[in-house]
Amino acid sequence: MKYFILTVLFIILPPVIAWGQDWVVPEERKGRLSTFPFTDETRQSGEKLYLTNCISCHGNPGKGNYINLVPSPGDPATEKIQRNSDGEIFYKLSVGRGQMPSFRNVLTGDEIWHVVSYLRSFNKNYVQKVMQIITSSAYPGAVIMMTVGFNEADSTVIVRASAVDEQKTVPVTGAEVRLFARRYFGMMVIDEEKTTSESGTAVFKIPAGLPGDKEGNIHFSAKFADEDLFGIVSKDTTLMAGEITVPVSLLAERSMWNNVRKAPIWVILTYTIGVIGVWGFIFLIMMKLRDIYIIGSFIQGKKSSEAI
Amino acid sequence: MAKEKQEKSNEKPDLDKVVEESRRDFIRRLSIAGAVSVTGAAALYSGHSFEKAKHSKGMVRVLTEDNRLVEIPADQIKDLKPDIKALKARGKEGLQGKRWVMVIDLSRCRNARKCVEACQSAHHLRPYEYHINTLVMKESVNTPEYFMPKPCQHCDNPPCVSVCPVDATYKRQDGIVLIDNERCIGCRFCMAACPYSARMFHWQEPSQAENDKEKVYDVELNVPQKKGTISKCLFSADRIREGLLPYCVSACPNGVFYFGDENEDAVTNGTTKETVMLSELLQKNAGYRLQVELGTNPRVYYLPPKNRLFEFERGPEKEYREETI
Repeated sequence: MKYFILTVLFIILPPVIAWGQDWVVPEERKGRLSTFPFTDETRQSGEKLYLTNCISCHGNPGKGNYINLVPSPGDPATEKIQRNSDGEIFYKLSVGRGQMPSFRNVLTGDEIWHVVSYLRSFNKNYVQKVMQIITSSAYPGAVIMMTVGFNEADSTVIVRASAVDEQKTVPVTGAEVRLFARRYFGMMVIDEEKTTSESGTAVFKIPAGLPGDKEGNIHFSAKFADEDLFGIVSKDTTLMAGEITVPVSLLAERSMWNNVRKAPIWVILTYTIGVIGVWGFIFLIMMKLRDIYIIGSFIQGKKSSEAI
Repeated sequence: MAKEKQEKSNEKPDLDKVVEESRRDFIRRLSIAGAVSVTGAAALYSGHSFEKAKHSKGMVRVLTEDNRLVEIPADQIKDLKPDIKALKARGKEGLQGKRWVMVIDLSRCRNARKCVEACQSAHHLRPYEYHINTLVMKESVNTPEYFMPKPCQHCDNPPCVSVCPVDATYKRQDGIVLIDNERCIGCRFCMAACPYSARMFHWQEPSQAENDKEKVYDVELNVPQKKGTISKCLFSADRIREGLLPYCVSACPNGVFYFGDENEDAVTNGTTKETVMLSELLQKNAGYRLQVELGTNPRVYYLPPKNRLFEFERGPEKEYREETI
């Protein structure tokens, strides 16, 4: 039994420890470099972004005033963080892990590079390498296009990517594509990241009951995940792929808290008649009392004049 | 002059005089006609140049109050001061077709207090005046403590609105419960009725009363705040109108808050800006609401503090109020 537990521990522990200590960045992302050289301008922009997004946990770089958390966020000016390659820092900022939030939906690729450039300004030994080829496009000279269509039968959205040349049209294969649906505060990822097949298509499953507008329309946007390889290619379309949603006002029904506007006529009538009736009765009594008083004073006057 | 003319008309017409007069008249008329034609031409020309200028300036895209994007000629734009009636009318209406909903992930809160600070600076409150609280919670003796941010729950059946004797607090079609501080008489019935203790009362002159004197009262922001009236969380109704996330939601550094439209079944995280499906998020994480047994039907959902990202840590620098529900 003891040995059994030990063996289990030996099998389970190493990956757990590895997760706790190292933050493994995929090999192909490690060597990624910025496409532009770091200047004072990029550093300033990076500082601004750092102050709004990072300072609450990491503190001021070089001051060591980061917050005490487990695992420790660490000071970005220290060797522990500076020994990461540019690509590794870029990956960690974009993807995040655990308490470290993902910033790929918050900052653009360029903005993340600006933050990297700001962080590098605290490293005197750092010499920047710039990516030489801006786009190592898989389809040189061709324009990459996307079409987005909806298949009602199995409620899927099909994205077809093709490289259009002067002579021919070739399907784009093996490219990572993401599909988004527009919502009020941002773009919602539909399904997950897909790789285009040999015919250049990626099929996305629409989640059941995804609400559209009054006609069931949803605004979709398809994008290539790897901007370095394909450039920023995206396709926006509106498709009738959603549930027809007719919004109902929350004030539509009558309730305790909107009784002023929603009271039925008979209630208003009875209430008004009741109030008028009660006040009318009170006024009637007061008028009668006034009459009695006048009659009284008249008789009094008559009596006193008789006395004279 | 008038007399002379009368006399002239009484006299027999003298031929020479008539001829001379008609010549004078002719010259007079000619000069008038000349002046008129010159001014007319000038007017025409200025009109023409104006038209030209109008087209050269082009069209401008404008977002209307009901959130439609329209195009109007640039020269027809008039600067308007926000007037209190218009602000109130749109504050009363709310955004059509929306049902705002907030999700608070308790497993991510470490009491960083950024939500509280952002809220207080937006609504001109003092550090001890809260629209949103971070409470220390402990369900029972054996369970751990955790932090819980608690804004107004914007109930679909709000007891506070039911009890208001002057109709100062009201519910909008998009689910937000607001207060009209200019109508509020400060009776505090709503404070007593609210089961979530979400409301606060201005006992003293609001902190920025002097600076805010000139400001036009915005019912969607409750600024300027008014002494002797109630204030509370407004779901940042002014920010939502602009398509931005509420102040607290976007200020959180730990991704605690999600905010979105229930009709769209989507909520957006304030920190990572990730948009996810509301129904799926609640289903996967066993979302719950506070004190549903009261029938208040709140619009704020909580995700239980399971697999917490942060250790619970009380710090001397952190202010908090303790409360048990």
